[in-house]
Amino acid sequence: MKKLIVATFISVFLVLSFAVMAPAKEIKIGVILPLSGALAPTGKSLKEGADLAADIVNGKYPDLKISIAQWEGIPSLGGAKIKLVYADHRADPGWGADQAKRLIEDEKVTGLFGCYNSAVTKTASVEAERAAIPFVNPDSTSPALTKRGLTWFWRVTPHETWFTADLFNFLDGLAAGKARGVGPVGKEQISTLAVAVENTEWGAASLTEIVKFAADHGYKIVESFRYPHKAADLKSEARRMMASKADCYLFAPYIADAILFIKTLKEMRATPKLIWGQDAGFIIPDFYKTLGAAVNGILTRDLFSPELGKVKPEAAKINAMYKERTGFDFSGSSARDFVGIQVWAHALNSAGSTDPQAIRKALNDLYISSDELIMPWKGVRFGSPFPGDTHQNELGSGVINQYQGWPDGKLHVVYPFEFSTANLIYPFPGWK
Amino acid sequence: MLLPFVILTDLIKMELAIELILFGILMGLIFAFISLGLALIFGVMNIVNFAHGEFLMVGMYVALLTSTYLHLDPFLSLPIAAAMGFLLGIASYRFLIKDILRGPMVAQLFGTFGLMLFLRYLAMFIFGPDVRTVPSGILVGKSVLLGWVALDLSKVVAAGLCLGLFVVVYWIINRTKLGRALRATSLDAEAARYMGIDTEKINALAWGIGGATVGIAGGLLAHFYYVTPTVGMVFVLIAFATVALGGFGSISGAFVAGLIIGLIQVIGGQYLSELKFTFIYLMYFLTVVFRPRGLFGW
Repeated sequence: MKKLIVATFISVFLVLSFAVMAPAKEIKIGVILPLSGALAPTGKSLKEGADLAADIVNGKYPDLKISIAQWEGIPSLGGAKIKLVYADHRADPGWGADQAKRLIEDEKVTGLFGCYNSAVTKTASVEAERAAIPFVNPDSTSPALTKRGLTWFWRVTPHETWFTADLFNFLDGLAAGKARGVGPVGKEQISTLAVAVENTEWGAASLTEIVKFAADHGYKIVESFRYPHKAADLKSEARRMMASKADCYLFAPYIADAILFIKTLKEMRATPKLIWGQDAGFIIPDFYKTLGAAVNGILTRDLFSPELGKVKPEAAKINAMYKERTGFDFSGSSARDFVGIQVWAHALNSAGSTDPQAIRKALNDLYISSDELIMPWKGVRFGSPFPGDTHQNELGSGVINQYQGWPDGKLHVVYPFEFSTANLIYPFPGWK
Repeated sequence: MLLPFVILTDLIKMELAIELILFGILMGLIFAFISLGLALIFGVMNIVNFAHGEFLMVGMYVALLTSTYLHLDPFLSLPIAAAMGFLLGIASYRFLIKDILRGPMVAQLFGTFGLMLFLRYLAMFIFGPDVRTVPSGILVGKSVLLGWVALDLSKVVAAGLCLGLFVVVYWIINRTKLGRALRATSLDAEAARYMGIDTEKINALAWGIGGATVGIAGGLLAHFYYVTPTVGMVFVLIAFATVALGGFGSISGAFVAGLIIGLIQVIGGQYLSELKFTFIYLMYFLTVVFRPRGLFGW
């Protein structure tokens, strides 16, 4: 009997020892991104953001004060490592769906992640829905994606509707005195808007959103028009904006027209109180490289700024790690893919299993606080922030940046107000 | 339906009318000058140069590069832009056009179309797709107040220079021996040859002068417009519409049509911006259908 007990003990000890010594299990996540073609540079930066997050989850980084940096794998899964299995969707929705299928059937991934291009996310997520495995989307902004009622699709990034809402929340806050370094301005000072958008689907959609939110927030659009994309001359359009005597000029152009509009307004000595651009042409480096000091005071909606490190110390550290690896600061896109992998890690840890149903429940119940994130968000929690949305992160936000101190200046965050990295320059200083 | 009424009541307000006419004339003169080379080449050789916009782009890059790297004022780079345009025109004729002239009409069309693609993507290869602007210059970024109207100084000077150069080209064509040879070649190349005119040389010169004028136009345009390898596309369609309206081959037609198109695009931009180029191309279409010889063509 004594021998039997000793043998049992030895057996149990050996089994446990092997269990401890055996390499931790891998959890495969299929990542579908545009890794070739015109979007290859963007795809590369998205991959680098996701890779960095996976490395932080899998390794140990005691200096970083965020949970995943302390885990060395997924704690509730015995330290299982996250393995990202990449696929290139070539910006082709059909090809993206095929890749999703391949990752699910051949690679046996636990879930999917991607795809940046909204059109590809749309088709690839349908494959995840069919296979009943989770799809976490960190970076596609078409509002329609979370209005399809899918049960296996969660979006971490704010979508386009949000960005226009941000503008009007910013204006409301500016009027009420919430903007850093500026007292209450009073709504009557910024209540009239002139809107110029390019004559494309994106421009028209931007105008529709602006008109809707302006009505909801009590602002008056005194001038609005669509102009031909890549125009030879925008003199009369600039004149219309000035003649409207609007307080705020709002634009949705691509790069060439953005440059032409600002040059023309400068030439005509326009003096609005505020100039805001809807991303795109207003954040491409050619915009500030060509216009130099003429960009000072201009606001643009964006998603991220390296300057956020001033108010989010962990973001500064992680950005420095990213820069060391890639030579570049995080962009709004790569930073969101970093956060997307964080979401996957937290969901897996909460689920304590790779069973799709358990992960699904974990994602539905997930809450990640703002302190954990490099993005200027209140956190991550999936809900229905706008009518019709399902599984949309309701604590996200875009940012509004302001060009300050150019030609050698910075893009400073001025909204969300709690993450402001500099005093807002208000009113728009004009051009000398 | 109320739009014509709105335009009429607005134009009665002299202030707006004066502003629109001023803006329209300034841009119109520049459009006209851009179209001049196209009209000239067509007039002499009956060939449409699809690469005309790319010649313009080359002139713009000359201004950009000389001001960026040689720190030469872009205004002073105009002679270099003219020389580059001239050489490009001559080279295009010598190495491409001369040969394809012997082929069918479609070869001529595709020949200049190929030249357009070659120059555009060569620029893309060398300079990349970046959008750039001339950084500084005596005229760059400066505006003048004319009463209550602020005008871009570079546009005012460019328009004035375009007007002056138009007069010079008009004088060359109508008052000099070279101009007579050009006109004779355009009317009947064979008869001109019998009269002892070296039509080969005249053809090459037409391409050279056409290239030089559009090179200068590019140098002027770069003062206030962005530069990118595809920029020619924006202006070449307007140039085609201008030449069709003025009459293919007519110098004075290009001048008047440029002004008309300048005014249309400014007034269109004031009232129906998204359709302003539609008005221009509609006019192009109507001209081609109802008056194929244009306003001043033969």
